[in-house]
Amino acid sequence: MKDIFRKQKILKAPGRLKRHYDVVIVGGGSHGLATAYYLAKHHGITDVAILEQSYIGSGGAGRNTTIIRSNYRTPEGAAFYKESVALYERLSAELDFNLMFSQHGHFTLAHSDRSLVVQNERAEVNKLLGINSRVIDRDEVKRLCPQIHVGDDVTWPIQGALYHPPGGIIRHDAVVWGFAKQVCRSGIEIHQGIEVTGFDVRDGRCHGVRTTQGNVSAGVVLSATAGWSSPVAKLAGVELPITTSILQAFVTEPVKPFLDKIIVSAQMHIYVSQTDRGEFLIGAEVEPYPTYSNKGTFPFIEYSTRHVLELFPQLHSTRILRHWTGLCDMSPDYSPIMGLTELDGFLVDCGWGTYGFKAAPITGVTLAELIATGKTPALIEPFKLERFYTDTLVSELAAAAVSH
Amino acid sequence: MSRLEARDGERIDRSQPVSFTFQGAAVEAFEGDTIGSALYAAGRRTFSRSFKYHRPRGLQCCIGHCANCQMNVNGTPNVRVCATPVSSGDIVKGQNFVGSLDFDLMQATDKFAGPFTPPGFYYKTFIRPRKLWPLYEKFLRNAAGLGVLDRKGKREARVDVENRHVEVLVIGGGRSGLEAAITHAAEGRQVTVVDEGPEAGGALLSDPAGKGVAADLRARAQAAGVEVIAPAIAIGIFEYGFVPVAVGNLLLKFRAERIVVAAGVIEQPLVFPGNDLIGVMLPEAAKRLVEWWSIKPGERAVVITADDRGLEAAASLRTAGVLVALVIDLRVEQPPNIEARGRRGRLHAVSVNGETVKADLLVMSGSPQPNAKLLAQAGARVVYDASRGIFVPESLPENVEVVGSAAGDVGAPAVPAAVLGHQGDKCFVCFCEDQTPKDLAYAIAEGFDSIELSKRYTTVTMGPCQGRLCSTNAIRSYAKTKGVDENTIGTTTARPPYTPVPMGLVAGYPQEPARRTSLHHRHRDLGARIMWTGAWRRPHSYGADAGVEAQNVHEKVGLIDVSTLGKILVTGPDAGAFLDRVYPNRFSDLKVGRVRYGVITGDAGRIIDDGTVGRLDDETFYVTTSSTGADGIYQWFGWWNAVWFMDVQFANLTGALAAINVAGPASRELMTRLSDDDFSNEAIAYLDARAVTVAGVPALALRIGFVGELGYELHLASPQAVHVWDALLKHGADLGVAPFGLEPQRILRLEKGHVIIGQDTDSESNLHEAAMPWLVKNDKEFEWVGKWATQQVADRGLRNMLVGFESPSGAMPVEGGQVVVAGRSAGRITSVRHSRELDKVIGLAVVPVALAVDGGRFDVQVDGRAVGMIVRLGHFYDPEGARLRS
Repeated sequence: MKDIFRKQKILKAPGRLKRHYDVVIVGGGSHGLATAYYLAKHHGITDVAILEQSYIGSGGAGRNTTIIRSNYRTPEGAAFYKESVALYERLSAELDFNLMFSQHGHFTLAHSDRSLVVQNERAEVNKLLGINSRVIDRDEVKRLCPQIHVGDDVTWPIQGALYHPPGGIIRHDAVVWGFAKQVCRSGIEIHQGIEVTGFDVRDGRCHGVRTTQGNVSAGVVLSATAGWSSPVAKLAGVELPITTSILQAFVTEPVKPFLDKIIVSAQMHIYVSQTDRGEFLIGAEVEPYPTYSNKGTFPFIEYSTRHVLELFPQLHSTRILRHWTGLCDMSPDYSPIMGLTELDGFLVDCGWGTYGFKAAPITGVTLAELIATGKTPALIEPFKLERFYTDTLVSELAAAAVSH
Repeated sequence: MSRLEARDGERIDRSQPVSFTFQGAAVEAFEGDTIGSALYAAGRRTFSRSFKYHRPRGLQCCIGHCANCQMNVNGTPNVRVCATPVSSGDIVKGQNFVGSLDFDLMQATDKFAGPFTPPGFYYKTFIRPRKLWPLYEKFLRNAAGLGVLDRKGKREARVDVENRHVEVLVIGGGRSGLEAAITHAAEGRQVTVVDEGPEAGGALLSDPAGKGVAADLRARAQAAGVEVIAPAIAIGIFEYGFVPVAVGNLLLKFRAERIVVAAGVIEQPLVFPGNDLIGVMLPEAAKRLVEWWSIKPGERAVVITADDRGLEAAASLRTAGVLVALVIDLRVEQPPNIEARGRRGRLHAVSVNGETVKADLLVMSGSPQPNAKLLAQAGARVVYDASRGIFVPESLPENVEVVGSAAGDVGAPAVPAAVLGHQGDKCFVCFCEDQTPKDLAYAIAEGFDSIELSKRYTTVTMGPCQGRLCSTNAIRSYAKTKGVDENTIGTTTARPPYTPVPMGLVAGYPQEPARRTSLHHRHRDLGARIMWTGAWRRPHSYGADAGVEAQNVHEKVGLIDVSTLGKILVTGPDAGAFLDRVYPNRFSDLKVGRVRYGVITGDAGRIIDDGTVGRLDDETFYVTTSSTGADGIYQWFGWWNAVWFMDVQFANLTGALAAINVAGPASRELMTRLSDDDFSNEAIAYLDARAVTVAGVPALALRIGFVGELGYELHLASPQAVHVWDALLKHGADLGVAPFGLEPQRILRLEKGHVIIGQDTDSESNLHEAAMPWLVKNDKEFEWVGKWATQQVADRGLRNMLVGFESPSGAMPVEGGQVVVAGRSAGRITSVRHSRELDKVIGLAVVPVALAVDGGRFDVQVDGRAVGMIVRLGHFYDPEGARLRS
């Protein structure tokens, strides 16, 4: 308790960039930081540099809509995210940083019979893995979330929902800072404002990175650059089956507690939650055109507000405060791509589309293990880049019309 | 009462009294007042309670920028009453307090919590024990937020949207904006001006000498043909000159060839202890109180200003009889030590360098910032001009210009120090979030030393004013603490909207109406239970028992409305060759008058749709798609032909044509009764397509059998569907004709093992593993879309297979139920139904290929336990297809 009276150095500025590290992590987002944290914690590897072109958490980690859940469609995906949720539940205490994980339940609305079948499938997959998910009817949706409008007088009446009680929201910046705090304490260096401009590739192996502050050699290089994964991997000569699009979101002015559940509608391409600050946080699906331009569009605001008001007409006068975009690196099967590439010494962590943030801790654990041992942990075996050559895709697509 | 005698140029109409209630008590006002001005005139000084410390706050900007006057108006929380015109009968209440606005119990946080609640304190506390977190969270949640939302609130206001095209859109109708508009109009351009204020004029409106100038400019603009819209708020400048503008309940969507931003300045607070006390306000607030609403804002005033604004305010105050006790022009000298002292939150005295002046009003004016928010959002850079302490826009987007004070034309204001005085606890940089320079320094010391990190950690600039009143002061504070210049600190990214806009306004009205077929009302009349299938509304069934409806098709004759099927006419010399490329199987060899089933695969060899293709003549094919695939496949065809340039055209006839499937053993008899055409097996054999006339209506009859019985799918013009439907029911009454819905159709097709794309397939399904290898024709002249990938599947070996199954125990798994092998998911049930005809539970499932043998057994999880199922390859019903061909 006395900690709050005392200023703590939460983020430590590193010294000059050294010329060699055992591990270089490109990207100071939640994944890069989590990987560094578990490298130190589980494997005692601390000769590590994180290179971030902007500031930590400036990409997806600072732009996502903070939803944590594990109710995925594929057994591979659900098992992976189940571990992630379990780690998140312990993470505040572990990092000694309150991440404000608020687990009040996640609802994926179904507006048609077909959608109910998909939700049933997710529930069945989840049940087999011990994940708390079940399909509920319209009346139960109304009982659990009385604020929601369930009438037939809308474009997409609610037919039922997949209910996932452990689903919740978390303070996303806190996840970044909490990891960063412990990473700094372990002696790992976080270098902000350094851009990777190339890789030292010789004899089929990546020997290091070229940066705006000189060359650095490394035993292993991990690219955890989310939206920028394709161009970064290309610098190493590795081609990724990824397209990049934007996803848009907005928050409203804060109001007193109104909604503590997370409501997702795939049909209407929206999801709604209310943050601990009182703002409504509303996001949409990935825009259908590839782009790196982080420019918001007004049509997004129009259709998403229209859809929100079908679910929550009470919000009609609630004002939109701030609207932003983030990059989404989409893989063909809507599952991530993690681990080894054809280039020795160059690992990727990408294809996170719209579901990267919720995987941060388990990604850190598994990639740290891979880096430390050279062996791919079973949990991420299905997500290897190689699957696009062996045609063993992990399709979250049927469930991921909206993926939050 | 603070109202003055009537004054020249006042904006209130004293002949039009208006009455509303505040906290249940009546308040008298005049037409032209805002709720804020009326309350101020009636003596109210406390307007709100601050976000974090619940400090009392009063009017500060009077132009709707700050969060100080947010109240609940007619059930809507967070309304900035200073800029909300008063309406008779308004019900106004304060918000964010426990007790009352004037005596808020939560103010204890100001007295006691301050030192205990530094920035980010919530990240460091309430961590252990974990099980208490939900309790803490509830407390934190209740403390946060401002107004309370009406849980029963409805969307009542009508909202309209209008699209506008203009040559020049001028944002801001002050002096520079109107002058720019007049110039453009004189050069022959069509010009519209939008302005936030009640009328165009901007700062001129609150300047005694300027009111006449504004009226003259408005008259000249009108004479020049300029359209002026006010009050109107430009929400943002988006790409290609797109500017949505909020005008009450009307959303104007402008597309402008040229945009002129004349948004003026945003007045800035000064940072000194007590700068948030009630009575401390910006110059424009003091001026508006006097000049617009004829209110005497206080008795004794102190003015501290970095530019002429403070002096102008002082002049206005004097005319209202306010004693201006002290004026400090920061351009002359910057006193190192300023402190405002208060009693119960209200300004009582101002101390300057130890000298204390009694005052109940303090007008402060920092260096006014060019209002470049719209420009920054649109992609302009803002650069710090250290000599004047202002951020000036640069590198404007194409076709956007900026004029007047928004461009930096603000004279030569003084650059105020980051903090004027001792940096105390009650010295605010950010009023919305109650952040002080000490808080910012604290964040920097903790390592949050870039503006973006620090912004997120302290939440400075993230409140309702969105940085208007705090961004510059925060940057100055960071620069001072870190010992670098303001340009090094930089600004945070500007985000739309320009000002918070209600969701209801931008939502407009629903634009996704349900799709209904031309027979929809017949279904309703027949008692159909309507269901939602994507955009379409379709009959689920007509009676209580779908099984009975299905039986009627087996035994007699049924009608189903299949108008939702996609219908694409593919014509041209290359039509057959084109279809050979987009389908795995061959169509160029299809004989005229014949129909063939086809599945469409994507580039990756995954199944994306299915349907039938009938050849009407050498160059004409009639393609049907699934109901949900209609638009997608039409686009798919066009997309591919944009690559291939084949001589082929596509017409999407989905809405233009209705389709009725007449199915059952009596269907031939029924058709014969309604048509002179020959419906014998010789004339229209299974998989034939014929032009026929039914009940006098020309139709295309496709003899296909999705539901497994002799049947004819009639495609005809939508407007005539009702006539044909009625005739079929009437003339088939004695044959036992009855309509059947989607649910019985699902049972019937399952008995035949026919797949539904998207239900029995998913995004990974391919022809081999969906048990349709017979559709793969690799001997075609050209590649077909998905050929390579489909071959890869065959080469790598099959892993799963879509199979039929029956449930020997009669247990009914759910669709989506998991096939379990050794305790793990190994497949899934895609469809399952009880068949009355077979008296069995049957279905389709994806199972590991090793299990895909007739009679093979597999387990499915049903209600948490494994239940055995038996694989059945081949159709359950009429496996030889004798009934289809009969």
